[in-house]
Amino acid sequence: MTLLKIEDLNKSFKALHILKGVNIEVNKGERHVIIGPNGAGKTTLFNCIYGTLPLSSGKVYLAGKRIDHIPSFKRTEKGMGRTFQKNNLFEELTVEENVRLAIMGKKKYRLNMIKPMQNYNDLAEECHRLLEEWEMTERRTVLVKELSYGEQRLLEIILSLSTNPEIILLDEPTSGMSPTETSRFVKLIKKIPDHITLVIIEHDMEVVFSLANKITVLHHGTAMMTASPEEIRGNQMIQEIYFGGGALSHD
Amino acid sequence: MKKALLSTILLLMTVLILPHIISPFMVYLSTEILVFAIFAMSLGLIMGFGGMPSLGHCAQFGLGAYTVAILSEYTANIYLLLGAAILISLCFSLVTGYIAIRNKGVFFLMITLAFTQVLFLITSRMKFWGGNDGYSASVTANFGFGEITSNIGLFYMMGFFFVLTYFLLKLFVNAPAGKVLKGMMENEGRMIALGYNPKTYKMFAYLIAGSMAGLAGGLYIYKTQFVSPALFSVHMGAEVMIMVFIGGMGTIFGPALGAGAFVFLQNYISTMTDRWPLILGLLFIAIVLLKRGGILHLIQFVSTFGLKLFKSSRNAPVDKQVKGKEQAS
Repeated sequence: MTLLKIEDLNKSFKALHILKGVNIEVNKGERHVIIGPNGAGKTTLFNCIYGTLPLSSGKVYLAGKRIDHIPSFKRTEKGMGRTFQKNNLFEELTVEENVRLAIMGKKKYRLNMIKPMQNYNDLAEECHRLLEEWEMTERRTVLVKELSYGEQRLLEIILSLSTNPEIILLDEPTSGMSPTETSRFVKLIKKIPDHITLVIIEHDMEVVFSLANKITVLHHGTAMMTASPEEIRGNQMIQEIYFGGGALSHD
Repeated sequence: MKKALLSTILLLMTVLILPHIISPFMVYLSTEILVFAIFAMSLGLIMGFGGMPSLGHCAQFGLGAYTVAILSEYTANIYLLLGAAILISLCFSLVTGYIAIRNKGVFFLMITLAFTQVLFLITSRMKFWGGNDGYSASVTANFGFGEITSNIGLFYMMGFFFVLTYFLLKLFVNAPAGKVLKGMMENEGRMIALGYNPKTYKMFAYLIAGSMAGLAGGLYIYKTQFVSPALFSVHMGAEVMIMVFIGGMGTIFGPALGAGAFVFLQNYISTMTDRWPLILGLLFIAIVLLKRGGILHLIQFVSTFGLKLFKSSRNAPVDKQVKGKEQAS
């Protein structure tokens, strides 16, 4: 079943044509990785899907419904979550407060002006469960700016998970991590339940091939090819444009 | 909740006791301070918790004042008058907020200033209501249990509204809507990604602040019995902003302290020297340069520092020290 469908998406900044008619279909439960050289338009594509940037033309469907005309926060209500390439958290708040804010986004009482936030038991329970699940309980009272980089990356994912999404757009989840951190982090990403669809932008080929069950190659603003990891690995043309004709290793 | 209640009770006690221990002149002065405290706290909400620096917050204040002054010709019912003051400034906030909250930082500042300037020009040309010369109203507060004419009576009246405003604001910033507002100020992009509509919360805060400023304006008339277009001047807008700054942005009580310091300096030091704005200016520069927050932050810093010193001088067991630090932070 197609969950996310991108149809003939164009995006240009004045004369600069970044995305030229991108077509991608993402099925439910898929781990869909988008690869492509720097400047291929990967993050722009995410921003267009999520509505951070307006489209120049084209259509975006989520579960069969067009979403390209509704504001970003409504896309979150409809089940789309995202993480950011650079950590984008509430640095002055504690881990717990971050998660609570995230969970509260889908609660009716988020507009309540009287009852203190810490008095909502369901909020506290959900927050506790989520932190327990991701082994962050011990760090719950720490200010986010005092967390390690890896922990902050993890919190990015926890926050996007706490909105109960059907699909999450992960923008370079392992960027800026050491190899050891990366491999530990990939294990964590694999822990995300199967019913949640993931669309991932990633540069690290090891990460790509250990997570993906579908890969789209974005090159000069067009989706050149969407195929299984094995096909991508075997494709000579892809090897040349993306890996410079060399081996599959990444720096 | 408990904390908010406790601090409110403490504040209420202070307001109750204060007029009996300070001089009559100070009671008179404090009445003005309390009005400006409400005004400054309302601006403190959108500045310190919503990241919306309004240079035109005096518009709502002035509108509240003008509403009470003009309507007092027709009715003396204080509930009606204050209600109208709140309603009019709420309506004004609704219209201006719709446009203003789409902008950030300097643009927000300029747009709010522009709205205020419009009101300034209108009121200074309203010959019927005094124009540039202002308009004298004679209003006496009567809540249904006798007219309030004495200075102490007025003090208690303003004190009641001050404590009420403080309590409501305190509730608001700890409730979900307030936390979301703060989150919005810190990181709007992330809040949107979490499914919050930034405009809703900003508008909410803007409306609350606007109606509170309207209330403060309405109360102001009961003390001064006079309104003039000066209420809408840039001067007024800047003054209240300075109150928020020197008091401590990002806190509820800070702006109230700032209002106190400001009015006190203005009235007390001006009896000694004409150059009181110089002293205020130096204070303002020092606070901006230090970037450590305002008077309230200073008090907090000194008290936690003192607490630490006290704890360590008692040679307390280690676990107790840690506990003390946690409480202090």
